[in-house]
Amino acid sequence: MKNRNGTERKKREILITGFGGQGIVLAGQVLGTAASLKDRLHSTLTQSYGPEARGGACSAQVIIADGPIHYPYVDNPDILVCMSQTGYDKYYPFLKENGVLIFDQDLVRAPEKVSGDLFPIPATRIAEELGRKMMANIVMLGFVTAVTGAASLDAMLASVADSVPKGTEESNTAAFTKGFDFGQALLKGRERKAAGRKGAAS
Amino acid sequence: MENELKIILFMCNWSPHAAFQTLQDTLAPIPREVRMVRIPCSGRITKSLLFKAFETGADGVALVGCEPGTCRYGSGTAVAERNVGATREIFKLLGLGEERLTFAAFHPDQSGPLLDFLTGFRDRIASLGKSPVQQRTRKKEPPLSPKSAASIMSAHNIYTCQDCGKCSSACPVALSGKSFSPRAIAGAIAAGELDSAPIREDIWSCLTCGLCYDRCPSAVSFPEFIRDMRTVQRASGNPRFEAHEGFFQALMRTMASPDLPVDHWHWLPPSIHTDQSSKTLFFGGCAPYFDIFFRSHLDVRTADILSDGLRLLNFFDIYPAILKNERCCGHDLLWSGDREDFLKLARLNVELISDMGIEELITACPECYRAFSHDYPANGIETGFKVTHLFEVAEKVIGKGAIGFRKLNRRITFQDPCRLSRTEGGSELPRKLLNRLKVRNFTEMRDRGPSSLCCGNCAWIGCDSSSKAMQVNRLRQAKETGSDLLLTACPKCQIHLRCAMEDPFLGDEIRMEMLDLTSVLARTIQWE
Repeated sequence: MKNRNGTERKKREILITGFGGQGIVLAGQVLGTAASLKDRLHSTLTQSYGPEARGGACSAQVIIADGPIHYPYVDNPDILVCMSQTGYDKYYPFLKENGVLIFDQDLVRAPEKVSGDLFPIPATRIAEELGRKMMANIVMLGFVTAVTGAASLDAMLASVADSVPKGTEESNTAAFTKGFDFGQALLKGRERKAAGRKGAAS
Repeated sequence: MENELKIILFMCNWSPHAAFQTLQDTLAPIPREVRMVRIPCSGRITKSLLFKAFETGADGVALVGCEPGTCRYGSGTAVAERNVGATREIFKLLGLGEERLTFAAFHPDQSGPLLDFLTGFRDRIASLGKSPVQQRTRKKEPPLSPKSAASIMSAHNIYTCQDCGKCSSACPVALSGKSFSPRAIAGAIAAGELDSAPIREDIWSCLTCGLCYDRCPSAVSFPEFIRDMRTVQRASGNPRFEAHEGFFQALMRTMASPDLPVDHWHWLPPSIHTDQSSKTLFFGGCAPYFDIFFRSHLDVRTADILSDGLRLLNFFDIYPAILKNERCCGHDLLWSGDREDFLKLARLNVELISDMGIEELITACPECYRAFSHDYPANGIETGFKVTHLFEVAEKVIGKGAIGFRKLNRRITFQDPCRLSRTEGGSELPRKLLNRLKVRNFTEMRDRGPSSLCCGNCAWIGCDSSSKAMQVNRLRQAKETGSDLLLTACPKCQIHLRCAMEDPFLGDEIRMEMLDLTSVLARTIQWE
């Protein structure tokens, strides 16, 4: 699909899923806000309410594009972010061929091999080490930013600081940075391993 | 006279001296720069004696002995060749020029070849010119007066001592069976007993390990007090109890010569990447000198810490600069009472490093770390760059994630270096990394962390039977943990503990493989 000015249209559909209470919707909101208000792209957010809000699999659906978005629902995501096993079970079949799968490695048992990229992170564990399990969603956002570049780093940092409760900006920014650093380290490690340099030179 | 070359000829009493006498009897033209010192056997001229000739002004030294097989004592020639070989290697690092030191052997009837050798050696030294080692006259300071003692005592809170004795009950020297007590020394000096023989000896027995300071309820900084007492004692010319015949003190004083073209890194493997335009400097430390000095009887390989440290930084994508003419940090000069030369060396180091535009200095040596971060500023030398221990860098990068360690099928324990473990947070830093390693298990020794025991010596001073007792005690503690690999984080811990393992009577009871934590990190680290 092309934009009105004739350039190739860039559009990414992102589905974030997890338990109710993990801050899934907030994560989607932070990501969408960063893309639209800070990065000057178009974005939409739809969220599933209902029984999920009491602890089942809930989801936030974000679309980020460089032109108008006409349909806000995500049927087949390009990027699937899973923070619970039920969420994974429910939405994994809809992931696009060669889509990116991102998950909390301590909460989701994911397949070893998939058609697209696979990015595990112990987000909840990292948040616990930082002192608050609640921040797992922000850690995950940092990680998503690093490995997918769905929104820019500066936009995300500003959006995180705007969206979290007052007085927790600092700890949430630290959590975000931790997730981002983890993502960058993971990408670097993969690059090194692909180049055949797994350990330190001997 | 000032510019005339000085060549020292150490001449064995036996075969070659007869040849030399023939030259003298026939009024042969022996080069006039050559000064002959007659010695009983070339094998008795140690690395330290060879080196001290240069420290005190020689431009060339020739050690002349008997032909192999004709040594009156059997092994003299072999030992002399080994000592000269090692000292030459040290000269290469130091930039003094290997050619300035040589060994030769002659039969009694070889006066002609001996004269040729002497003339040739003189010509070679003449072509090299005067030695770059700076000479200086040291004036003798007056002995300690009650007034200067009082100012030292008040500077380190000695007067606040409550005489509780916690220091003496923790002091590893006292516990090794030596009649030594920090409290008693403080008391005696406060009572005006400044220059008695026991005090003069005791201030050189202290390890300055800092365990007493850790325990002291009044924060009496006994180690620093001892350090200042040593400075005064040394300046007034009293005996100094230097170990290894003062070789390392002489080496460090020599390094304070600004014109010395030190070549500290010539041995570095090419697989390691450094970048001279970097704003980060890796400061290695003196381990390459130690390896050469102790090679013949200890087989220590502490220079691996330097190359493994750099490998680890390369793994983290840090390509630091190295100081080609890196010198000693001066830690041991300061702690062996030579504040004057410490200051010279420190100023020279800061100047060389600042000229490179360095913003951060990374080191793996706890003593360099302490000297740059603490002793330099405390002595009025502002560095202008940040000083970081390699472990801090490692912990920070590894903490970001995606880095793990290869399995190492060993049971390990850890010897804390005093200069790291007794600083704030210094004992936790290596432990964070130790707990990341994938080993069979990591067991702590009985005395550990801020309470851990010294390896038995500090600043190359006062090695004796109680140092040995401490080392054996420490190694027994290590064995007690059931570990088969002892990790350390200081090259000197390795040297001293390895020395104790040479004991022929204790043998396997205390023998244990040792490695530096830096090396283990670099050899097992990997991307997950």
